[in-house]
Amino acid sequence: MTDRLTIPQGTLDVLLLHIISLDRAHGYAIAQRIEQVTGDAISVTQGSLYPALHRLEQKGWLRSEWRPSDTGRSAKFYSLTRAGRKRLAVERDGWDRLTHAVQLIFNES
Amino acid sequence: MRRVVNWFLNCFPGRRRRLERELELELRFHAERRVEDLVDSGLSEAGARKRAAFELDGFTPIREDVRAAWVPRWIDRCRLDLRYAIRTLWRSRSFTATAVLLLGIGIGATAGVFSLFDQVLIRRLPGVTHPERLVHLDWAGNSLSSSWGSGHLMSYLLCRELEDVEGLFDGVFCRHPTAVNVRAGERSTSVRAEIVSGSYFPTLGVHPSLGRLIGPSDDLRPGAHAVVVISYRFWADHLGADPDVVGHTVAINHHPMTVIGVSPADFEGVDLGAPTAVWIPAMMKKQATPEWDGLLDRRTAWMHVFARVEPGLTVAQARPRLQAWFKGLLDRETRSEDFPRVTEEQRRSFLASTIDVLPAAQGSPQLRSFLQRPLWMLLGTTFLLLLLASLNVAGLLIARGATRGQELDTRVALGASQGRVAGQLLVENALIALGGGLLGLLMAPLVTRVLLSMLAEDSTLSAALDARVVLFAFLVSLVAAGLFGVAPAVRLKRQSLTASLGQRSRILTGIGFRRALVTGQIALTLVLLVGAGLFVQTLTRMHGNVGFDSGNLVMVSVDPLSIGRSDSEAERTMRDLMRTLEDLPGVTSASVANTRMLQGGSSATTLTVLSDVGRAVTDGPVSYTRVGPGFFTTLGVRFAVGRDFDERDVRGSGGEQPSYRSIIVNESFAHRYFGRQSPIGRLVGFGSQPNTPTQTRIVGLVSDFSRRSLRDAELPQAFVPFWDGDSRNGTFYLRARGELGSTFASIQTSVGQLDPALPIAITTYDEQIGESMRTEELLASLSIGFGVLALLVSVVGLFGLMSFVVTLRTREIGVRLALGATRRDAIALVVREALIMIGIGALIALPMIWALGRLVEAQLFGVGAIDPATVAAASVLLAIVGLGAAGVPARRASSISPADALRFE
Repeated sequence: MTDRLTIPQGTLDVLLLHIISLDRAHGYAIAQRIEQVTGDAISVTQGSLYPALHRLEQKGWLRSEWRPSDTGRSAKFYSLTRAGRKRLAVERDGWDRLTHAVQLIFNES
Repeated sequence: MRRVVNWFLNCFPGRRRRLERELELELRFHAERRVEDLVDSGLSEAGARKRAAFELDGFTPIREDVRAAWVPRWIDRCRLDLRYAIRTLWRSRSFTATAVLLLGIGIGATAGVFSLFDQVLIRRLPGVTHPERLVHLDWAGNSLSSSWGSGHLMSYLLCRELEDVEGLFDGVFCRHPTAVNVRAGERSTSVRAEIVSGSYFPTLGVHPSLGRLIGPSDDLRPGAHAVVVISYRFWADHLGADPDVVGHTVAINHHPMTVIGVSPADFEGVDLGAPTAVWIPAMMKKQATPEWDGLLDRRTAWMHVFARVEPGLTVAQARPRLQAWFKGLLDRETRSEDFPRVTEEQRRSFLASTIDVLPAAQGSPQLRSFLQRPLWMLLGTTFLLLLLASLNVAGLLIARGATRGQELDTRVALGASQGRVAGQLLVENALIALGGGLLGLLMAPLVTRVLLSMLAEDSTLSAALDARVVLFAFLVSLVAAGLFGVAPAVRLKRQSLTASLGQRSRILTGIGFRRALVTGQIALTLVLLVGAGLFVQTLTRMHGNVGFDSGNLVMVSVDPLSIGRSDSEAERTMRDLMRTLEDLPGVTSASVANTRMLQGGSSATTLTVLSDVGRAVTDGPVSYTRVGPGFFTTLGVRFAVGRDFDERDVRGSGGEQPSYRSIIVNESFAHRYFGRQSPIGRLVGFGSQPNTPTQTRIVGLVSDFSRRSLRDAELPQAFVPFWDGDSRNGTFYLRARGELGSTFASIQTSVGQLDPALPIAITTYDEQIGESMRTEELLASLSIGFGVLALLVSVVGLFGLMSFVVTLRTREIGVRLALGATRRDAIALVVREALIMIGIGALIALPMIWALGRLVEAQLFGVGAIDPATVAAASVLLAIVGLGAAGVPARRASSISPADALRFE
């Protein structure tokens, strides 16, 4: 196994909000997606994934519904609420500004 | 916000179960997909399952973390504690009910009393801006004035002069409370009124809800401002909330006056609890109080004077500056022409006068001064009762702790921390206290209502719960929980796990503590019983102090002046009434006096007495009453020697001061000023000057009886003739025969025939006695109530403890019986223990009884504050009841069979 990045909670929340904003998804699909997109660089264990999903749901940023998955079994799908969408915009904006600023510092030298 | 709401919602069992079920399904779906993917990537089915399960549960307690997202762990823990506590309390329902009931009684009584205490003694004057800056001004020293009314009185002119003092007050006003007859349309009622200066409303910062209020422009010329302001309540209750009321005319004591405005709903004068219905300008005083004037007389004190201290100025700073001004005023007054001719000593004491500045954020202290002591005493007593109840609950908890020891130890052994166990007990105690508090809140309005009906019937004090009482009950519950919860918790902390292996020793330490608690209860109960004994004796002594047979005696008060009759008309009405009432069928005898007996007030004057040792002045003012012929016979007061008044006894009529030819005195007076010698034929004079003429002859001597109150039978009293040319109002006294109802009716008809407009007040003398002993009766019945409750509570405690002792010592008693002790020895064993506790309790109570005596001394009559007989009687009562409570367990001890006892345990 290669060294994988572990990510802080706040970052995980943004990632989850972003992925779910693309399309509603169940927990397993979300984990898969993160690994695929980052080329296995980031791994999210179930141990941090599910508590995070439930926390975001309790905060009112996600809502969930039970519907058949692609394999036909019933799964819990998460989607963004209006509040979640707003939150994501705020978080992304903050994230962009931070990376931009960090990039500026790196570029200087 | 949303999250906190969810925390709360997620605590409900139904929602919680759904969340758990869905989490399980969600995780199972995840695991199954993982297995499928792993199988696809070439793993065996069994290997895949193993790996998936490991990923899910291997590293972190995933379910726990998800639950923490639903409800934070600390809330969840509290929830569990609460659920467990409710279940535990429900399991031991009888314990819970007893504890809640005991606390409910204690908290209910305390909160009920607090409700009144708060309204009378704590709360500030409603409807007034910045009441905390109001002060009451009072003449301290010799003002050389005659006074009308009660409380701190000054003259109207002085009030107006105080308004001109610079740099101290944002306003000075004065008021005089009185009762007036108001007629609006056809209906006529007697209501409370305040005669006020023009600065009254502006200084208080009160604004009208309709029209305008009395202002400085209504305070200029005597008799020229026939205007009134009516209260919101009077407007709503008597005038149908007529929106066009401003400009209407009402008759105040038959003088037409124009309504200029209505006060705001929340302001009803400055006497809390005695709401004002009508405000009348001071300039209309003669119309409002027809029997006396003195508006512009410097030497007539009748106004309560208030001021508003300027912001930033403290009372302590204001006082000396006011004195400087006052000194100058006194000086000017002594040099003015109309200053009365007085002795040098009187002049000196006049010049030494000061003005007291008293805080008055609560307004006029009338009601407060009347209720202050009873309320403090009540609050103290109810706190004792609450303490008693808490001690008892503590005893119950310890007894329960002894049987729950194993449960708690098991929980500690299974890994619960001491803190968690203590927290668990804390939650249980809080629930009990809260239950008690809720029950108390249900009871509090009842308690308040009962107290109100006894203390202040016609006041505006309310029995309804308000936020302050609820908060108080809550705080008191917390205090009670602390009281009864701390003892068992401390014991819990002291014991370690190993100690609990030696079960017996632990139960025995619990016993010592309970013994102390029960002893404490016995002490408190004894204090309450002694208090009850003192008040009951006061009541019976006062009842025995009337001085004559009060049965079938009727009082009829009339005041023709109050409906605008002229002086001569009034006097004629009084004489006609006297004749009519005398001749009524069913009336055996009738007479008249200028005042109502046992009503508190009377005229008083210093007398000069000529005795064998020469000219002497009485110790102080002697209260004197004007009575008609036959007064003493009607009441049934005995003549020791001498004769009654007749028409010869008044020398002329009219003039400044009626001069009396004859006077009658009571035995206390004769004894005080003539010793053993007969007072008949001696001369007295009205006044204390060296040149006071002494031309009034003592013609009769009557036995002592209560005149102003039931406490004053042994004060020197004097009586002068009623028909002295100033007989324009008064009270008739009728001795009736047979049924009083028909007498009442015939009195009403005959007065109605004489003058249909004349209002009369009829009461029986027994009603008047009851009225005058309201406070004493209240204290007696309350203290009996509290005494009985306390006795009950501590008997329950003693009984419980002794039963427990017998159970614990069954084995020991069995052994003793087997070794030859008699049944009687077994009983003695138990009874001795109970007696020791009662004895120690009594010893502890003694200093408290002493302190109680000091506190209630002023309320007692005819019995000392420290009365050994009362203490002894209360102790005996307590001992008998206590032994009765110990008797049942003692009998059980005596019937222990040695064989069974040795098998016990």
